Amino acid sequence: MMRSRPVRRTPIALSALAALTIAIVPLPSVLDVLRPDFLVLVVLYWSIEAPRIGGLTLAFTAGLALDLLNGVVLGEHALALTLTAAWTTHLRLRLRVFSMLQQSLTIFALLTGYQFILFWVDGATGYPLTSMARWLAPVIDALVWPLMVGTLSRLHER
Amino acid sequence: MVAFRNHDASGRVSGLLLRSVLFTLLALGLIVVDKRYDQLGRIRRTLSIVVYPLELAVTSPFEGWSWLRKSVTTRDTLRADNRRLEQRLRDADFRLQRYAALQAENARLRALRNSTIGVGAKFIVGDIMDVELDALRERVLVDRGARDGVFVGQAVLDAHGVFGQVVQVDQRTCDVMLISDATAAIPVMINRNGLRTIAVGTGDPGQLKLPYLPINADVLKGDLLVTSGLGGGFPEGYPVGTIVGVNRDPVQSLADVDVRPAAALNRSRELLFVWVRRPASLPPPAKPVVVRQ
Repeated sequence: MMRSRPVRRTPIALSALAALTIAIVPLPSVLDVLRPDFLVLVVLYWSIEAPRIGGLTLAFTAGLALDLLNGVVLGEHALALTLTAAWTTHLRLRLRVFSMLQQSLTIFALLTGYQFILFWVDGATGYPLTSMARWLAPVIDALVWPLMVGTLSRLHER
Repeated sequence: MVAFRNHDASGRVSGLLLRSVLFTLLALGLIVVDKRYDQLGRIRRTLSIVVYPLELAVTSPFEGWSWLRKSVTTRDTLRADNRRLEQRLRDADFRLQRYAALQAENARLRALRNSTIGVGAKFIVGDIMDVELDALRERVLVDRGARDGVFVGQAVLDAHGVFGQVVQVDQRTCDVMLISDATAAIPVMINRNGLRTIAVGTGDPGQLKLPYLPINADVLKGDLLVTSGLGGGFPEGYPVGTIVGVNRDPVQSLADVDVRPAAALNRSRELLFVWVRRPASLPPPAKPVVVRQ
């Protein structure tokens, strides 16, 4: 697994940048609620696959970028993504031997935690979000996870 | 938590626990500092320069496309547009004829009452950028920022009425919260009788609500709501919306009033940022009004 290190930084950075771009491309509002959090999935993938390079630093930076783009309190997504990525890294040996279904279920659980942290910070900072649409995100992300793994594994096994 | 130190074929992740605690504390610190003390404004503005190219990259294809469409419009379309705009200008001119006289009269009357609020507003125009913010919040990104003097809490209008309020200012861009956001509230007045209340957003860009009117309040379908200017955030007298439904349930003590916003909340492209000239005795504009639900 540990081949040339410098080569592997590029796909990580590129995939994160691509995910960040997709996150802000305008869509019709119906589709917009269904948009998966690609950046979160990318971060989780690299915390499983390459936790030393694409681990917490990536998670924190990506979270900060999401905070800036979303215009929410600085540190909200950074906190949620750091904790989720840390937990994923902790679980990664088990995740690797899981079947795709089990992986998706685990991702669902992790992302529900992620949304809960966001929900909590939103409430604590005075911008509570009452819409139930937030809890749809983990389901969509878990459904997209196999696609994500397929794409990203091709990227770094090359 | 010794289990965090894993040894395996892919090498060990040393100090995962330590690093996650470190990053978590850092993030929590950021949240607290950003929320409690307004010290992070400059840091945020500096950081936002890093993501600005990304926003520009996403928005530029859309702008390029609309530029292309504009540049290949036919002569007929242009002539039709021209005729329509001339017609509108003529209508507006008719209505403006009395404006100077009315303004002078208004100033005289205000002088009699020793009130100068809302007289003389300065404004700049900004364009909404084609960048998607949080899908669940009613917010837009606009290409005006601290560089242009935009400030948090500033009122934003469009051609038809009140649009929203600035909630976040970066160097070249700012976030505007629409009046229809579920956490937005705006002090309003019914134009017909001067009844003051507060309009709150519903999360639906086509609807606002007046939740604080008693059941016997004098509201009618079709009444025009204008900003009351109380609270200091919004200039006085701009249209907010029209009342489209009054539901008086005898069991409730408050009436259920639906309002259709005057501004084209999901169609406008150009927004007006307003500066209200205020007497020195008034406090500076409040930060965005947020209701807890």
